[in-house]
Order: sequence, then structure tokens, then C-alpha cells
Amino acid sequence: MTTSLKGNWLLILALSLISAPLVIMYGFQLIDSVSRPAPGGIIPQEWELTNWRFLWERIDSARPSIWRVTLNTFVFASATALLVCAFSITAAYALSRLNFPARRFFLAGLIMLHAFPTITLIIAIFIVLQFLGLYDSLIGVILVKAALELPFGIWIMKGFYDSVPWEIEMAGVQDGASRFRVWRELILPQVKPGLSALLIFSFLAGWSEFILPLVLAPGADAQVLATYMNAVIADDTRPDYGLFKAIGMFYALPVIAVYLLFQKRLMNIYGGGTKG
Amino acid sequence: MNRQTLLGLGFLSPALLAVVMFFLLPVVLTVVFAFTNMSTSTGILGGEYQISESDLRRLPAAGVREEAVEMLAGADYAVRADTLALFAAEFGDKRAQELEALHGGASFDDRRAMERALKDLRRDPIRSVRERKAAAELFRISILGQRFPTEAAFVEAITALGIPEADQAALTEAAYTGWTFTTQNFELLWELPATWRYALNSALYVVLTLAFNVGFGLFLALSTFYLPTRTAQTFRAIWFLPRILPPVLYVLMWQWLTWDQGFISAILRPFGIEPINWMRHTATHAWTFIVLINGCVGASLGMILFSSSLRAIPETQLFAAQVDGANRWQQVRFVLLPQMRWPILFITSYQTLSLLTSFEYILLATDGGPGRQTEVWALAAYHTALSNYGGNLEYGLGAAYALALVIIGILLSALYLRFFNFRDLVAKPRIEQ
Amino acid sequence: MKQMTCALALVSAMAATPALAEDITITVWAGGSNDSDHYRIDNIKIAANLLSREAAIRGEELNITVEGKRDFDGWDGFKQAVTLGAEAGNAPNIVVTSHLDIAPWASAGYIVPVEDYVDLDAWPLNNVYSNLMEIAAFDGMQWGVPQDAESRPFFFWKEAMKKLGYTDDDMDAMAARVEAGEYTLRDMLADAKKAVDMGLVEEGYGFYPRVSNGPDYAQFYQSFGGELMDPETGKLVFDRTAMTEMYQFFVDAVEAGVTRKNHIGTEWDQWYSEVASGKAAFWHGGTWHYGRYTGKEGNDDFFGTIGFTLIPAGNEAGRANTITHPLVYLVTDQEDDRAEEIAAQLVAIASEPRLNTLHAIESSHLAIGKAEAALDLYAGDRWASEATEVLLPHANAQPNHPSYGAFSEAMFKGLEAAWTGVQTPEEAVAEVEAQLTATLGDELIIR
Repeated sequence: MTTSLKGNWLLILALSLISAPLVIMYGFQLIDSVSRPAPGGIIPQEWELTNWRFLWERIDSARPSIWRVTLNTFVFASATALLVCAFSITAAYALSRLNFPARRFFLAGLIMLHAFPTITLIIAIFIVLQFLGLYDSLIGVILVKAALELPFGIWIMKGFYDSVPWEIEMAGVQDGASRFRVWRELILPQVKPGLSALLIFSFLAGWSEFILPLVLAPGADAQVLATYMNAVIADDTRPDYGLFKAIGMFYALPVIAVYLLFQKRLMNIYGGGTKG
Repeated sequence: MNRQTLLGLGFLSPALLAVVMFFLLPVVLTVVFAFTNMSTSTGILGGEYQISESDLRRLPAAGVREEAVEMLAGADYAVRADTLALFAAEFGDKRAQELEALHGGASFDDRRAMERALKDLRRDPIRSVRERKAAAELFRISILGQRFPTEAAFVEAITALGIPEADQAALTEAAYTGWTFTTQNFELLWELPATWRYALNSALYVVLTLAFNVGFGLFLALSTFYLPTRTAQTFRAIWFLPRILPPVLYVLMWQWLTWDQGFISAILRPFGIEPINWMRHTATHAWTFIVLINGCVGASLGMILFSSSLRAIPETQLFAAQVDGANRWQQVRFVLLPQMRWPILFITSYQTLSLLTSFEYILLATDGGPGRQTEVWALAAYHTALSNYGGNLEYGLGAAYALALVIIGILLSALYLRFFNFRDLVAKPRIEQ
Repeated sequence: MKQMTCALALVSAMAATPALAEDITITVWAGGSNDSDHYRIDNIKIAANLLSREAAIRGEELNITVEGKRDFDGWDGFKQAVTLGAEAGNAPNIVVTSHLDIAPWASAGYIVPVEDYVDLDAWPLNNVYSNLMEIAAFDGMQWGVPQDAESRPFFFWKEAMKKLGYTDDDMDAMAARVEAGEYTLRDMLADAKKAVDMGLVEEGYGFYPRVSNGPDYAQFYQSFGGELMDPETGKLVFDRTAMTEMYQFFVDAVEAGVTRKNHIGTEWDQWYSEVASGKAAFWHGGTWHYGRYTGKEGNDDFFGTIGFTLIPAGNEAGRANTITHPLVYLVTDQEDDRAEEIAAQLVAIASEPRLNTLHAIESSHLAIGKAEAALDLYAGDRWASEATEVLLPHANAQPNHPSYGAFSEAMFKGLEAAWTGVQTPEEAVAEVEAQLTATLGDELIIR
């Protein structure tokens, strides 16, 4: 239905204008990480890689090495993602397809938790972690992050289960298979796309998480890239946008890679309604 | 219990356990904390019993009679018959005799003075610091500044001092260093002028950001709807990135754009405009950028949802409109928009709640400044409970702030449940065994 | 009671234990510390080495491992980590923090008094300035040991002053005039205005204050006659007149074009480079800024370009003053009493003049004790010597009161509201007063 070319050009112009700030930020994010601008200016003077020095040396002798921090972040994000997925596929199936007492109650609870002021609970969460002996450990933050992501994960997976035709299940049950076997052999393959989308989504959510590790795991052993980067920025004796941006670039690379690979699936899951 | 029930509950239980432990339990605890005076000074996990010097002047107000207070006050250490006997038992009669000769009957205000007195022993000095400290403790006659781990130990100590029974209860209560239940947090919230400002800030933040999100989301969805696929995808990608970029990095990019020597200042300088910090110059500047920062994250959600609803509209309707001679604007106005009512309503109600409770981007961008002008309710909760230059974190008050959000959250989501037809969402599974 | 039984147990234990190899790990967390402050941790390591050697001579084998950490997310992150860690029972053994934390942390039972373990009358603690020791005490007990001293002077750019008509002699006499109350903040404002009008500095750069909250602003409250704590009752004091006049002073500075309206929140990086290069006529900072100005910012002629004084008095009621905000070593409460004891001993050894001088000179801080001035390293440093002489005798500290944090926070938020023109000074003071009355109640005296 693209009839008027002129109209399209106007549209593109308008869109470009309003997108300009974002594009400028992305562009300079890239440029500034590998160059040095003139003092007080924005035009790059020299191309150089010194901003990336954090990769091969400690920028401050007290900071953990970037590789350690990256490993932590990776472990944190993937463990969170796996937990969310593992718990969501079963719980969502139960809520979507199985009939059991108090199902309505659980569903209503799920919807309520879905939009809950999670972060304001942090002191109380601390007490629980402390009680379990998991304060200041990566495992503790992983569990908390996974638990807080669960309502969303279950909600999304329930959506995917809901769209699986009932006929598949009926056929299985009529063939005499147990509900468990039906789930494992017939239904699970149907929701695979949803599962991988949720996996990617939870991974990204874990990768970006800032406040939970900041408060619940302040020790050096559990630093993640978000807290590392923020600490570098907060250290007011050496603010250096080139360095910040290089670290930011390093931090964002996996995100961009994931985006390029799984664009479609991501758009799908974000369309499913998420925290805004 | 039939097998389906078992399977259902079994499937649910891992998720349920996680949610209960790290989600519901904290909610319950938050409610409890909101009714306590918990802070750094009181500790979180219970307290001990201690009367310090500065507590003395507070005791009369706490219902302890003057004469009891006087018994507590006075010198901390004394060299007298009973303390000397203790000393003699541990450190020998000879030393005790010498000390009595030197300082018999003396009293000292603090341990340092008592230790000095012990250093005067010449015949068989106590050489080790540790032993001298232990010796000094034997002469302690006051309980000021001492911590007692249990109530029983404290009561025993004040009984030994001769505090009348009538005052013991009040004194024990005043000596407790842990938190106690109180409703003062809510009184405080009611009285503080800042409370209303935070509430207003929150309202402003939600309304403005939401307007931006829905407006821009709609504009992006509609405009990319008409563009060739590749172009549309490019713009969608540009607007989608803020959503998945880590907040720390995303806000850093905005900081770079707006600070005194940043992009905006640099390109405006040739036009004679003084460089300023565009994000923090005035409250208006701060609000503009808060809305932009959050808006650019939120708009993509609207964009994606609206785009998929648009694609679901049968093309024939548009062709029909085109045949009728409707221009693009008329198509949008009369064909597309009316069908977008539900998605818009959904985004609005959904984001109202999540915006109300989110503060991460504000924390990173302005931290509530300038002059607490962008301090929203959720951020105030965080600041009160977890961030304070002077070091006394007020967990109880912070929980009271959070509780308000919890209640609003529950009410709003209950409302939405009714509104968005809960019955459909929870329709009974069709396989009945 | 607990202390006594512990002490007794120790005495008996000492008599009984044979020489056994003892391994102990001491963790040190230092807040607000960057690279140049590494001696906050390293001095404890050196102290551990000395203590082990002393033990070896006594025939005991004592192996101390010191683990340090200072990469916290600002002060907030550090304090969250320490308090939550203490609740969780895995607090570090030694913390380096603001003396203001003593009151709340002592009352919460997170820390133990160092005086339980070390002899305050013995070397090296008897060498520490008594007013600094006082700052690390609370409720009649010595909780910590000062780790460093600093002070927050007022600076002026000599070239600008020269163009305003001050001779070299005038500038040399400035510190004395400020101290005597002859040169006040109002005089400074007039000079700064002149400097802006004459084009010596850009508009908004006449007076260029600190960009975020800190002890510095309490100095201005004192300049206008404010008192932070009532010495009689130990309660905090909110002096309405002084507070209003202080807010008014900053509002006047903004109105005169001497200070920028949006000054608060300026990037520190930018601020340092501007004041070190003469973009501002007057500003105030800290003694440790010397290191930054002459180091990273490349000001090679500090004494030729920058002069410093106390913070001038604001009016008749006030006085020229400066606040010292020493960091302190604190020993945390641990299950194992032996860990507390070793930690306290390490802190005492780290206060040796030689060790402390390493930190003082490396990080441009001031000495904590008299003997340091006699060490070559210290005496050879012109800045350390002069700053000690001009500033330290007049320095006072903020009070150790559990609610002082709330007080300081509220005072600054009010100032920010007045400064940015959101409220008039009177409105701002009224709101701060209402808030403090509500939160502090009986612990606050309103004047």
C-alpha cells in the first residue's frame, strides 16, 4: 500500500529527525571508544586504542580484573536465564492446561506480582538472603533475580502454551498417554520458540541488572559489569568518557550480538508485555 | 487428590517456592518493617541492652525516675573493698595491697584513668596490656556503656546496682538497642512536606512519560507501517536498542550528550549559547531529560505492540478506504486508530504501574536532583532505606514508603483484572478428566 | 559484663596456651579511597608484618594475612556493604570510614571500641593529636583511631587577586586577616563580583563552591554563627538565623552572577580542571586537592598561583573556621575475640608516624600526630607543613551523633532548593526545620 513516494520521504525525514539524538549517541559511543576528541570539543582528533586499556591492565589496582567481572556477569545472566526457564515451563503449563484447586487464585496472584514494585522490597530480600546465608554471594543474587523475573516468565510461557491447539493434547490423551508424557513429548516441542525467546530475554535482563548486585553482593567476588562500570564512573578522580565508553562498548557487545541474531524473537517477547 | 492435581501442584512448586521465598516473604516483611523504627542504629536482626552516657538525659522522658537515673550515673571505676577483693583473687594479694595503698578509695571516670592507676604498681607491675585491661575491668562499678546480650543479663546487672523494681521495666525498655514497633513512620510521612512533593513528582513522571511512550510508540508504529520493510526495520532497531542496552551504559550516553562539555553544549557554542549541564540546569531541564530517557526505553514497547496489532488489521479495510479516496491521515484517523483502542489501553494501564515503581534510570541520571525536584516516590524509598551520606539508613521509614507503593500496586492490578476480563484469562482448561 | 568475661577468659587462656602456630586473616575495607589512598590498606599489611615479627621474637608463630578492598560504588555502596555485611556476620575486620559512622554503628553493635584492646597512653597512640582522638570517640569511649587528617580551606587565585589590587604582601597577610575576621564572606562576594565585572573570570566563576554535599557546607553554617551540636546536652542544634543567612549568601552569590545557578551537580572532573587552571577567582576545597591540582591537572606552580585561608566568617555572629573530617580506623564486632584484638593492634601499629606519613604525603593529607612533622618526608613537603600550621589548629569536626547524617542531608537539600531558586531561603529553612523537627524530635534544639 505504498502509494505516495513523496509522502514516504517526508515520513522518513520526520523519523530521522526524531531518531537523531539516539543515532548520535550510538555513533559517538562507537567513535569515542576508539578515539580522543579535542579538549572541550567532539570531533575526534586521534584514533587510538588506549581507552581499551582496561582489557589488559587494571585501571585501578584495587579493582578486580575485567575478565573476572565478565565471567561473573556471564554466570549470573545465564544461571538466571536457565532458572527462569526451568521454573516457567512447568509452572506455566500447570496454569495454562492443568486443572487443580486454587488455580484461579494462583493466576490472579501471578498477574498481580507481574507489576509489583520489586526493587522496594530490597531490604526485606536482604534479610531472607541473610537468613539463608546467601548474602554477598553470586548464588544469592541469581536466586533473587530469577524469582523476580519468574512472574513475567510464567506469564509469557503461559501465553505460548495457550496458543498450542488443544487438539494435540486431546489426541495424546486419547492415545492413553499420561499428561506428563503428553507435555514432554507433544507440547514442549510446540513451545520451543517461546522458550528460546524467554531464555534470551532473561539472559539480557540478567546481563543488564544493576541494583540487585549493587546492594545484595557488594563484595569483590560477585562484581558484575554493571556495578563495575558504575564504580568506574563514580570514582571522581578520573572521569574519562573515552574509557567509560570503551567499557560500555565491551559491556554492550554481547547484547548487540544477541540482538542481531535473535531480532525477531526478541521483538516477539517484548510485544508480550514487559516492564516498561 | 487426583493425578492431575498432583501434577499441577508438582509443576507449580519450584516456581512457587522461589516466588514465596524471594517475593512474597519480602512483601510480608516490608509490611512488618513499615511499622518499626528500624535503622542502622537499631540494627536489623535484633538488639542488645545498653545504657550509654548520652542515654542518661533521655531516661526521665522514658519514665525512669530521677533517683534511679542518679544510681546509674557517677564514676565508672572505683578502688574499694569489694573490687579490690576481686582484683586480689585474680592478680594476687600483694598487688591488691599496693594498689590499696596507692589509690584506695579513689574513683575514676573512665577506663583510661583506671589503667593509669594500675600502671602505678611498682613492686610487681602488670606488664601486658591485655592483663591490665582485664584488671581494670574488675574495678568497674557502673554499667554505663556496657552491652548486655540478653534482657536477663541486663536486669541482673541493674538489680545488682540496686535499681528499684518499679523502674526496671522502663529502664530495660529504654536500654534496648534494637528496633521496636511503632506507627511513627506513617505520622512522619503525613507531616513531612516532602512526602507530597514526591507523590506529585511521581504523578508528573508517570503522566509525562506515559504520554511520551504512547504518543511516540503510536507514531513509530504508524509511520513504520507505511514504510518499506528494510527502512522500517532500521528505525525499529534504533528505537528498540534503548530497551536492551544495560541501563548504566544507556544513561551514560545521555550524560555524555548533556553535560557541560558534552555534545549539546559543543554544537550550540558556535551560536553563542553558554555551555550548561542540560540535564541538571533547572528542574525543567531535568524533567525533560528524565522523560526522554525513560520515554525512549518505553516507546519501543508501544511501538512493537502497536505494530503487531496494525499488522493484524485486514489490508482489505485499507484498500477499501483508499478506493474511497481517503488520504493517509484519514486512513489513520478513521480506519487504524479506532482499532488500536485496546492495545493503547493495555499499554497505558500496564506502564502506569511499572513506571510508578521504577526508579533505576532516574537514580542513574539525576539521582533526584536538582534540589530533589525529580525525586519520585520509589526513589525516595530507596534513598531513605539505602543511601544516606551520614550513614544512618532508615529501613523502617523506607519500608513505609515502599508499603504505599505495594498497596497502590495491589489496588491497581485488582482493578485491571476486573477491567481486562479476568474470566477469559483464567478460563478452565478444556481437558477434564 | 561481656567485655569483662572476655577479658578474663583471655587472661586465663594466655597462661595456658603453649606456643602454637596461629593463622588469621584480617580484611580491611576502605571507603572513599582511590589509588593514591592505597596506604590505608597497605599500612595495615606493613603493621601485620611487624606484629608477626614481634610475635616471632616472643617465640610465637603468628601468620596474618591481610585482604584489602576499596573499589566500592561510592560512599553509599561502601556503607551499604559494611552495614549489611555486619548484619550478615561477615563484616570486614577493619573499616576505614568517616568518623560520623561511629555513632550509628556503635549503637547498632557493629563495631567494638579499640580502647578495649590497646593502650591509649602508649606509643604510638599517645602521639596522636588529642582533638583528633576526640573525634574518634563517642559516648565516653574511644571507638576508633584517626586514619588521616585533612581540612577544608578556602582558596583564591592569586592572579585574579592581583588584578583586583591586592599586592603580594596583602595576599600573604590574607590568612591572618581571615582568621581575625577582618575579611568576611561578604567582602569575598564583593571581590568576586568585581572580578566578574572586570572580566577577570567568566560569569558564574567568581565563587566556585563544591559541587555536591559534603562536610564543607557545614562550614558556611558555622561562618554565620551556626553551631552544630550543643556541648551541654549533646543535642544537635538548628540555628534558624544562621541557616537563613547562609542560604541567603549563596542566593546572593547566584543573583550577583558570581556563582552559577545550576552549579550543584557539575562534573567533578570539570570542576577540578577549572579551579586548578584559574577559571575561578574564589573556591573552597580540601587539603587533599593539592595532589590533584599539582598532579593530574598539571598546575606546576601551586604556591605562586593559589592562596589559601580558613573559610571566612560570614557576619559578626560567626567565625572563620574549617572542618576536618578525618577518616578513622574502626574495628568491627566479630565472633572471634582474637580477631578483634589483632585488628586493634594492627590499627595501633599503622598509626606509627612513619607509616602514617607515607599515607599523608602520598595522598596529600595531614598528619595525625605531632611526631610526623619531624620526619623528613613530612617536613620536606611544603604543602603539608603550611596547611598543618594555618588550618589544623582551628579545625573542628562535625558531631558524632546518630542523627547527624539526617541533619546534614536535610541542610544540603534545603540549600540546594534555595540555590536553584526553587524556594526562597526562608521557605527552604522552614521546610528543613519542619522535616528535622519531625524526624529528630527531642534530639534537636531549634534556635
